[in-house]
Amino acid sequence: MNARPARPQRTHRSGPRPPSLAGNLWTLAALLLLLVLSAGSALLRLGPFNEVANLGIAAVKALLVLTVFMRLKTDNALLRIVASTGFAWLAVLIALSLADVLTRQPLLAPW
Amino acid sequence: MSTVERVPPPRSYLEEGYGLRSWLTTHDHKRIAILYALGITFFFFLGGLAAALVRLELVTPAGDLMSAETYNKAFTFHGVVMVWFFLIPSIPATLGNFLLPLMIGARDVAFPRLNLFSWYLYVGGGVFTLLCLLLGGVDTGWTFYTPFSTLFSTSHVLLAVVGVFIVGFSSIFTGLNFIVTIHTLRAPGMTWFRLPLFVWSMYAVALVMVLATPVLAMTLSLIALERLFGVGIFDPALGGDPVLFQHFFWFYSHPAVYIMILPAMGVVSELITAGARRRIFGYRFMVYAIIGIAVVGFLVWGHHMFVAGQSMYASIVFSILSFIIAVPSAIKVFNWTATLYRGDIGFDAPMLYALGFVGLFMLGGLTGLFLAATALDVNLTDTYFVVAHFHYIMVGGAVMAYLGGIHFWWPKITGRMYSEAWARFAAILMFFGFNLTFFPQYILGYEGMPRRYHEYLPQFQVWNVLSSAGATILGAAYLLPLFYLAWSLRHGARAGPNPWDARGLEWQTASPPPPHNFEQTPTVTEGPYAYR
Amino acid sequence: MSARTHPVPEQFDDPVQQREAATLGMWAFLATEVLFFGVLFAGYTLCRVMFPEAFAEGSRHTDMLLGTIETAVLLTSSCAVALSVREVQLGGRRAATAMLALTAALGIAFLVMHGFEYYAEYREGLIPAIRYTQQGVYARGMEIFYCLYYFITLFHSLHVTVGVLLLGVMAWRTWHRAFDQDYHTPLELTALYWHLVDIVWIFVYPLIYLVGRSG
Repeated sequence: MNARPARPQRTHRSGPRPPSLAGNLWTLAALLLLLVLSAGSALLRLGPFNEVANLGIAAVKALLVLTVFMRLKTDNALLRIVASTGFAWLAVLIALSLADVLTRQPLLAPW
Repeated sequence: MSTVERVPPPRSYLEEGYGLRSWLTTHDHKRIAILYALGITFFFFLGGLAAALVRLELVTPAGDLMSAETYNKAFTFHGVVMVWFFLIPSIPATLGNFLLPLMIGARDVAFPRLNLFSWYLYVGGGVFTLLCLLLGGVDTGWTFYTPFSTLFSTSHVLLAVVGVFIVGFSSIFTGLNFIVTIHTLRAPGMTWFRLPLFVWSMYAVALVMVLATPVLAMTLSLIALERLFGVGIFDPALGGDPVLFQHFFWFYSHPAVYIMILPAMGVVSELITAGARRRIFGYRFMVYAIIGIAVVGFLVWGHHMFVAGQSMYASIVFSILSFIIAVPSAIKVFNWTATLYRGDIGFDAPMLYALGFVGLFMLGGLTGLFLAATALDVNLTDTYFVVAHFHYIMVGGAVMAYLGGIHFWWPKITGRMYSEAWARFAAILMFFGFNLTFFPQYILGYEGMPRRYHEYLPQFQVWNVLSSAGATILGAAYLLPLFYLAWSLRHGARAGPNPWDARGLEWQTASPPPPHNFEQTPTVTEGPYAYR
Repeated sequence: MSARTHPVPEQFDDPVQQREAATLGMWAFLATEVLFFGVLFAGYTLCRVMFPEAFAEGSRHTDMLLGTIETAVLLTSSCAVALSVREVQLGGRRAATAMLALTAALGIAFLVMHGFEYYAEYREGLIPAIRYTQQGVYARGMEIFYCLYYFITLFHSLHVTVGVLLLGVMAWRTWHRAFDQDYHTPLELTALYWHLVDIVWIFVYPLIYLVGRSG
């Protein structure tokens, strides 16, 4: 082939080092615990804090999956940026459209 | 892998194979770019035909050529085709595909098969759109506003929506490919701040494609659902909110405007530096401006909805953000102008297009500020002022830059030179035709002529006739390159590797380039635009 | 084809660059997936702001117990697929295949449970446009809730189905020694995709099943 490597071939094993088994299992345990916590808190009468608990716990769970299972903690920083970009853009979409809906004169429902 | 060499490599990518099959199964980014160029040219003239019908109808105040319904279908078809099948893929999928790997010193894009697949998706989307046209068309406008599109329109909304949905995936995959290519396949020494601005603009555009298009796809699916089953979240009769649709739609479609103009800015940066033999003025500021436009472009969508029932407070926020995005755009215009200062300016055809772009883009951008002002916008919404504004950006801006880029890189793509005299003539004709077509529309809009009607009050006729006359000239100017560029394929003088004496990696390889772009992977030792 | 002879496509210099490109591409794709689902969540948020009571009422009609079990199943499957990648990296072909099979099985279990849920909702008359028999003040708002519910969960189930198929292919290839310590990028990417499907469900769970449970 023309113009094959200009750089020396790198041959180290691909990807971040394999995580520890215990780490993965503890993460699963934490996730299941959080699930129980989430279900339990939903049954308590906490007013607006029900929603805070629901979404807060979901965010923690998602972070656990992202950092441990998806290995963002050990893989390169660019991937962390890419991953957060998706969520950041979603936040923009929700925030700015909420800015409209929350400050609008309430629309009367037709029933 | 590198030891076995049985056959000597073919001379250029064009001579790799001549059969239809060798083109339709190619993984070469350069060939895929040409496939795109064919599709895009086809749709450009198809969409242009619809525009011609619209302008023809508007020569007289009475609606005498078409019925209101046919007129609606004509401008809808014009919009859908021009936005999704011409403007959005135009520069990224043709020039971007061809040049991006060349400019960063790579052998191909990161995912060549995905690249080919994107083209097939583009064609698939196109087939649905053509089918929609053949079966009678769609009359909702390219924006598919609810509840008209979901409850009332009797035209083929679903087919059009499916077409756009599919072509959306094409641009998602193109964007994904570009992002990964720029991140991973830069040649040794090609640091981020040595990238040509065209590459930066491709990066920004890829970012927008990847992050905005999914929103469009799902929004269109929600429309399809609502149309098919009569349930959904946009239908006011069911308690839904049509303004939600506009939020989601413009979350995609406003950044989509930047998908069209950012690549144009990238192209013009290349053309002006080569045409004036100058380094770009304020390279880093240009880069920050590109990224700034791409990011802030996501925060301004509400300025399409000032009169749509959006809350006043949200409108104020969106209005301020829209003014902010004028800043990076102004930085760019300023820096292009400053690049010309004390330059050795040549007036070759690509440079004529680039200079035309700067002027027209500035006019389009400044009228955008009028529309970003909430109070003024209430008057100007849905008038020809808006039509003129976005045509100055998209036709005066994006199309001029696209054609300028095609002329500039034509010798690289085909290995031939076109007729310079004809090219200059076409560029100048286009500039005058364009202004004659669209400047009267500013006046019409300012005087209150609404858009999307097939008849109008008699006092508007003078400006409308001028506009239609301009459209005739513009149409002729668009047809000209078709002929002299085709002529050059056979009869044009052979271009050397670097006919413009331009800098940039793409000029260091043969014209047309060999299948894997470079005989030797280049090593980069200096920044872009090493002119003077 | 053995992993050792896996050729590097010609646009890449070496396997490291290839892997970098592949993972970056996958993550970029996952970012688009976040926005694909994100629009639906945004629609949910805005509609819920407009009809808070109806959404709570709609949520109370869902099967919280089944939803919780489904969440647990997906979380476990996510762990299993993470372990399978680990096993391949450590050279454990059997264990890796077993883990992949377990993941796929859990995915199928999820789909089956969800099928039961849909069936129960059909009998209760909760499916807009097909069988919707709700009456009362909240009926209209609930219909919007259920529209979003079906759109989100069906789109999610579509992803689960694709994921199960991919996992099956990966299990097959792992068993036939397509991957080893040096080369297992396709497996890694499949795992990433599966985790994202899990993350989406992590947000579906509180937003669909847990609203207004305390009232």
